[in-house]
Amino acid sequence: MKIVPPTMREKKRYLAFELIAEEQVSRDELIREIFSASGGLLGDLGSSECNIWLLAFEDHKGVVSCNRDYVSRTRAALSTITSVKGKRVTFHILGVSGTVLGATKKYLEGVDVFNPEEQSHINE
Amino acid sequence: MARPAFYDLNVCSVPEGNDTVEKIASLAKHFGFRGIAITNPFGSCEPERPAMFDDLEIFSGIELEVNKASRLHGLIGKYRKMVDVIVVHGGSESINRAAVENSNVDILSNFGSMKDNGINHILARSAHDNNVALSFDLGEIICQRGGRRVRALSNFRKDLKLIRKYDVPFVLTANARCCYDMRAPRELIALAGLFGMTREEAIKGISSIPESIIKNNRPSDRYVFEGVEIVTTPQDCLFNGGEEK
Repeated sequence: MKIVPPTMREKKRYLAFELIAEEQVSRDELIREIFSASGGLLGDLGSSECNIWLLAFEDHKGVVSCNRDYVSRTRAALSTITSVKGKRVTFHILGVSGTVLGATKKYLEGVDVFNPEEQSHINE
Repeated sequence: MARPAFYDLNVCSVPEGNDTVEKIASLAKHFGFRGIAITNPFGSCEPERPAMFDDLEIFSGIELEVNKASRLHGLIGKYRKMVDVIVVHGGSESINRAAVENSNVDILSNFGSMKDNGINHILARSAHDNNVALSFDLGEIICQRGGRRVRALSNFRKDLKLIRKYDVPFVLTANARCCYDMRAPRELIALAGLFGMTREEAIKGISSIPESIIKNNRPSDRYVFEGVEIVTTPQDCLFNGGEEK
């Protein structure tokens, strides 16, 4: 199929995030939780408008894409994620960018995921 | 635009919540908060002392949850001098009313219920007169699912209407009981957007209003001790060339 011209493509935003979690979380488990959270908060209609999609997820860091006009709604939906398969997690969005490369370079490269257990020991 | 300072004035630590103050504070700092208030319910432990944790300010606070309004006033009088933030856990109509009519109360939280949104035009007006902030407990949107969340969202919508009409101060809080309940300021703004709050209003609710609550309760720089304060007279200003302030 012929590729759609740029002006007709859906405009997207890429959200770089870190997942602050108790234990290791797998990609599939997270995807399921993201869709259940957005389905629960926004419903099928709202989710279809937002078009949330998990692109990459590795080492508790990743990129989610969504529709350009619904970034704030996506943010709200993602922040209602409280646990993945019974493991408590917090979804923290580090930044928003117009390209995957921008999101990765600016917000994810060389960033260590915050770990509350370790941090509190350092500061004590 | 300069980045405003963000505050969350309703966080619980051990023994009420699950995590220590250090753990919560390090996460709050990571999320970009300037300060948090630890508001454990009274009776469970002594109120947390105000402290500095790297750049993060920790304010002392207390959450008062009682079932009789008459008891509330005594407790407020007792804790007013000890803590920076007094939060009243509302619920019934009489408690909500007692809280908004007492100007020593800083924040009224959890005032809505499954049946109604807990405040009306009269309570909103007296909250404005007594400068009692109403809190939007976004934890309800984050943690609840289904019917309860629907109810919470529609309550918040009604509250917002009254708050706009009567110009009532309000705060946004994630109402965290453990460190995984906490959310970053931008996420709180996005959640507030769900029930129709504009970005500017939401920023006000997590920056300037909490800041003014703390400022009103902390003694000023000129405070010496109870009843004594340094007052600069106009003559002093003249002698020192107006340098001293």
